[in-house]
Amino acid sequence: MNQNKLSFHQSSVSLEIIGLPDYSNNENKDQISIISQWKLIIIDKPLIEGKVEHLGPIMDAFYIYSNLLIKNENPIYESKLIDIKAENLHIHNVVLKSSKPNVKPLILKIGNSLLLDTINCFDQLNESSRVRIKKIGVSNNFAKKIRFGLNTKVNFFNFFMPPFIAICSLVLLSSTFIYFFNPVIDKEKNELINPK
Amino acid sequence: MPNKVTIWKLRNNNQLRKSYVNNNINLDEFDALIKITVEMSRFLYPYFRKLLQSKEDSYKNSVIWNDFKKRLIELIKERFNLDSMRVKKLLNQTENDEIIIKSLLILSLCISNLGYQRLKNFLFDF
Repeated sequence: MNQNKLSFHQSSVSLEIIGLPDYSNNENKDQISIISQWKLIIIDKPLIEGKVEHLGPIMDAFYIYSNLLIKNENPIYESKLIDIKAENLHIHNVVLKSSKPNVKPLILKIGNSLLLDTINCFDQLNESSRVRIKKIGVSNNFAKKIRFGLNTKVNFFNFFMPPFIAICSLVLLSSTFIYFFNPVIDKEKNELINPK
Repeated sequence: MPNKVTIWKLRNNNQLRKSYVNNNINLDEFDALIKITVEMSRFLYPYFRKLLQSKEDSYKNSVIWNDFKKRLIELIKERFNLDSMRVKKLLNQTENDEIIIKSLLILSLCISNLGYQRLKNFLFDF
């Protein structure tokens, strides 16, 4: 059976995805849902390829590392499969560890430009409608303080309006009792009870 | 964004500018500014990439980097409030390389739809 091949390019980096559509799901014949192989081609660097189970962790590693890099945190990412560490502000060391025994890890030195190209290739793959993979990378979950910042108006309104309405209704209700209270009659009643 | 004047007015919310005016930016305007940034970054990506690549090589006095930095500093001096400590930090020759590189990295990472979300998250977290 002929396999489908899709390529994503960004300047010096190409990502090739090879696989088949899931016919049991009535998918188009040019769709890829069952990935059998992927290749990351970086100009002037050794070819990186692997199975589908390696693609997710590698993409995750690059995304997490780039987040650390731009957030001024110590940019180090270490896992069973891949390590990425900054040598300096411009160069990053990538160590790819093979899952097969007795295979030496592949060490790559990539600059900021190649790092960006690689991440942009992964973005293209994530956004592609023709490849079905577990979407990863950027979440919509903001940190607690951010969510608070976004909803400040709503929270403020929700926080102050109920007690405000309660106080207003109390004032309105109690003010109606003024009409039933006549201080002169009250005084006369008191005098009748205590004739002194 | 109805017109360019609106964008120009929103620019003045930048506290580092000489013409700083404190107008509150609403969420829609914030979103629109991010979308403009993403589009501009997509357009300028090859240039950003060249700039970053020029710093990767061992010889540091690259022409493209020096030209870019010279123009950037000229613009900062022309438009930013030079009494601000943050602007002084931007103009400090020994410190500003890192700030500029980080800014270029952030802009280069926001050229896709995922990048748009990434930039939004980064700014909320800032």
